[in-house]
Amino acid sequence: MTTMVPSPASASRAGDAHPLVSVEQLVVEYVTPARTVRAVDGVSLTVGRGEIVGLAGESGCGKSTLANAVMQVLHAPAKLAGGRVVFDGEDMVGKSTEELRKFRWRNVSMVFQSAMNALNPVMRVGEQFVDMMHAHERISKRHALARAGDLLELVGIDRGRLRSYPHQLSGGMRQRVIIAMALALEPELVIMDEPTTALDVVVQREILQQVRDLQAELGFAVLFITHDLSLLLELAHRVAIMYAGEIVESAPAAELNRQPRHPYTAGLIESFPPLRGPLERLSGIGGAPPDLSAPPSGCRFHPRCPHCRPEDAVLYRRQTTERPILREISPSHQVACHLVEGAA
Amino acid sequence: MSVPKRASVLEVRGLSKRFAAGGAIRRSRVHAVEDVSFTLEPGRITALAGESGSGKSTVARLLVRLYEPTSGSVVFDGRDIARERRRRAILAYRSQVQMIFQDPFGSLNPVKTIRHHIERPLRIHKLAHGDQVEARVLELLERVGLVPPEQIADKYPHEVSGGQRQRVAIARALAVEPSVVIADEPISMLDVSIRIGILNLMRDLKEQQGLSFLYVTHDLASARYVADDLLVMYAGHIVEQGPVDQVLTEPLHPYTELLLASVPDAHAAERERIEIHRGGQTAAVDPKPGCRFSDRCPIAIDVCRSVTPPLVTARPGHAARCHVTAPSSELREERDVQPVR
Amino acid sequence: MPRRIVLPGWMWLLLRNPKSRLGLVMVGFMIVIAVIAPLISVPDPTAFSLLDARQAPSWHHLFGTTDQGSDIFSQVVVGARRSLLLGAAAGALATVLATTLGILAAYSGGIVDEAINFLINVFLVIPTIPLLVVISSYLKSRGMTTMILILGLTLWSFEARILRGQALTLKGRDFVLAAKVAGESTRRIVFGEIMPNMISRIAAGFVLVFYVSLLVDSGLEFLGLGDATHVSWGMTLYWAQTNSSVLQGEWWPFVFPGLALVITVLGLTLILAGIDEISNPRLRDEVRQRRHLLRRLFAALLSGRAAVRAEGPA
Repeated sequence: MTTMVPSPASASRAGDAHPLVSVEQLVVEYVTPARTVRAVDGVSLTVGRGEIVGLAGESGCGKSTLANAVMQVLHAPAKLAGGRVVFDGEDMVGKSTEELRKFRWRNVSMVFQSAMNALNPVMRVGEQFVDMMHAHERISKRHALARAGDLLELVGIDRGRLRSYPHQLSGGMRQRVIIAMALALEPELVIMDEPTTALDVVVQREILQQVRDLQAELGFAVLFITHDLSLLLELAHRVAIMYAGEIVESAPAAELNRQPRHPYTAGLIESFPPLRGPLERLSGIGGAPPDLSAPPSGCRFHPRCPHCRPEDAVLYRRQTTERPILREISPSHQVACHLVEGAA
Repeated sequence: MSVPKRASVLEVRGLSKRFAAGGAIRRSRVHAVEDVSFTLEPGRITALAGESGSGKSTVARLLVRLYEPTSGSVVFDGRDIARERRRRAILAYRSQVQMIFQDPFGSLNPVKTIRHHIERPLRIHKLAHGDQVEARVLELLERVGLVPPEQIADKYPHEVSGGQRQRVAIARALAVEPSVVIADEPISMLDVSIRIGILNLMRDLKEQQGLSFLYVTHDLASARYVADDLLVMYAGHIVEQGPVDQVLTEPLHPYTELLLASVPDAHAAERERIEIHRGGQTAAVDPKPGCRFSDRCPIAIDVCRSVTPPLVTARPGHAARCHVTAPSSELREERDVQPVR
Repeated sequence: MPRRIVLPGWMWLLLRNPKSRLGLVMVGFMIVIAVIAPLISVPDPTAFSLLDARQAPSWHHLFGTTDQGSDIFSQVVVGARRSLLLGAAAGALATVLATTLGILAAYSGGIVDEAINFLINVFLVIPTIPLLVVISSYLKSRGMTTMILILGLTLWSFEARILRGQALTLKGRDFVLAAKVAGESTRRIVFGEIMPNMISRIAAGFVLVFYVSLLVDSGLEFLGLGDATHVSWGMTLYWAQTNSSVLQGEWWPFVFPGLALVITVLGLTLILAGIDEISNPRLRDEVRQRRHLLRRLFAALLSGRAAVRAEGPA
């Protein structure tokens, strides 16, 4: 019985090569006549080849916007306002529409939130595969269908289902079809944005198992975005925590679980009651995620942070006026927090 | 803090609900809820866990009379409320059994103030008059942690956060001082960091006021955190029930084991793989005789496909609906005669 | 205890939106005219005075006179009363019918829904204008009450179907279920919970019936099916037509009543467009973007720049 825990071998292989994707100080703004909101405010993140990177955060933290930016599918009123997205050494921001079109799906593909509703309801599944392949390469319909069949089997669906319409498949099966489509052109990176949120827990487990197996077999990298941190701690090699448009902590999954350094990370981990082991009263995190059109000054988490107290005058001043910078405190463990800097 | 009115018990016996579905030519019946029985006792939180299609939300709605059962009874205070037709009796029931909905935004009227939402139950059930009403409204808002209550009362639903909306929904439910609160997935649409706050509120209300809760959820971890008893539902049936810790540490039913194996648990060292299930959870539509979980079950035997297993108490307070792990006495006798295949 | 006054709420919204603001001004203007009509018109606008016949607009007769010497200004000003009252009353009748029956059908479901649906469909099938023509020709009294009744009864079904649809959507919403669980009576749920969420659609329906009634009524009168003793825009137009004013080069008998009609109907249409924009946020954004684009283009043109780069989607 294979385990779900990432093996040390794959983790180290993931880290050593030149990173596949490097997001550098990315800024994305939503510009409306009324106001401008910075959904992503200076985010830096890397994804190595064959690495599973998890991005966790709550609603409104900007994780979906970040994913769209990497995929270069931002649309009005979202605008890239700073920073770079470097894929395999090339800066994606200056590319032409045609180059981007080729880049999308072939190098990077994406599984959107509730993507199972993204299938065309009046076309058979097989036809949708063919459609998608024709958009990217010259291939005969027969070959395309054969490839589609292979892909379905890869995700654990019977080939015969090529002739089914989307509504004839269950939610979990549709999501697997979407994943199969995302893998069709053998991309190097698959971005998954809340791919299992709308699914039942058993189906979710099946799909995650599938993704794990495929990733081990085909070697693509995954950027897995979700609010379910417990999932990431099991699935990912590395996990980054996003809050109010910034990355507040990033570390290998096991280390993040054992030793979270940012109070938000600790609070988030605490928000998932354990299924086994001792049960104590948890406190979650008070308050609510901030409105990004008017984020708190200084450290954006300070209104909710149990360690931000007016009594600690000097620290309090820093916490309320200075934005903490993401710093590496141990190999591949980065934190953006005044508390940690103080200690170091 | 008010003293509970009385130690009332809500007893559900053999509850079933069938819906007609399908088109004119191929009509089918969905056995959404089948032969469900349990008791809600004061000062205890009972979790009703299951996935979508299990019937748990239907049970919740049956208990608050949003649906009428096809058969079975819901007995409260000695009276079967499911069959009740008289308006006064129904209104009396509604002042005792209240509900919290899943969608914090959808359960509040967007064009009415928070105050309106809390006032209405007070006025409908004539629980306060004149100046008392405002005092009660503020008191209720404070009790659920919405401070300063005067400010919040004036706001509209879109002006407060998701967690605050859900607290308003709880305050509304508490306004009538019920004995039982049915919470239908109250935290699944909230941000992760505020879920614990709502669960803690439920625990506190249970302890301080002796309320009984039915906590409907698909998340076993939160069920463990907040509940005393656990009911596991699959395709309309209750397949296992018992004290929450016992069910989760020594599950009897293979579906409970499957759920436990599927829930993400960061604290788990190693996880076993689960079999990929090809097919859907449609066992509740025009069900065939036999156990509804049999086609997915790793330990199914022949009798599972022909005879629907009854809910059998295999250990004190812990029952399961499984021929293999909780066989009924008749079946045990038969099995003594015939070899198990 | 601070209390929010609801009325200025929607009024404020309507005033902020440029389209409905203009519309309100136009309709408001007409309402003011109608209100002060008795003060600024001659006692009998249909009085004959052959001495003053066929006169072009002058200080004595601001809008000129008809073939029979009646003062057109008085006719238009007094006619405003009829038109506005008729439109509002017909609108009110149709709206009350549509709202009550539409929401009732949606909320009750079952046989009540079937019955009301049937009623709606029957009335929908009836062709409004031919029916009105036929009825107008046969009725002895073609007074305002009759017209209001007929217009209200023929125009309600269109709105009813739309409101029923919206109410159906709202019925399944959790806050309606929550009200039911709290013990609210059906009546209170329909009028207290569901209806307040439909105000913008109901208001839009009212405005629609208002100006349709206006147009239909004036149209019928113009065709000669009106009552000759009435003072209204339609009748003035009718007389203008039968007296062949155009052929004789007299523009004033039809321009002024026509203008009055146009201003009122256009005003109402603008209010309707404003309501649409307010209720549909996406529409609001599109309109705002277009306006921004237009403003930029205009500014660029003014500054004489030849090259204007229109901003496509980011």
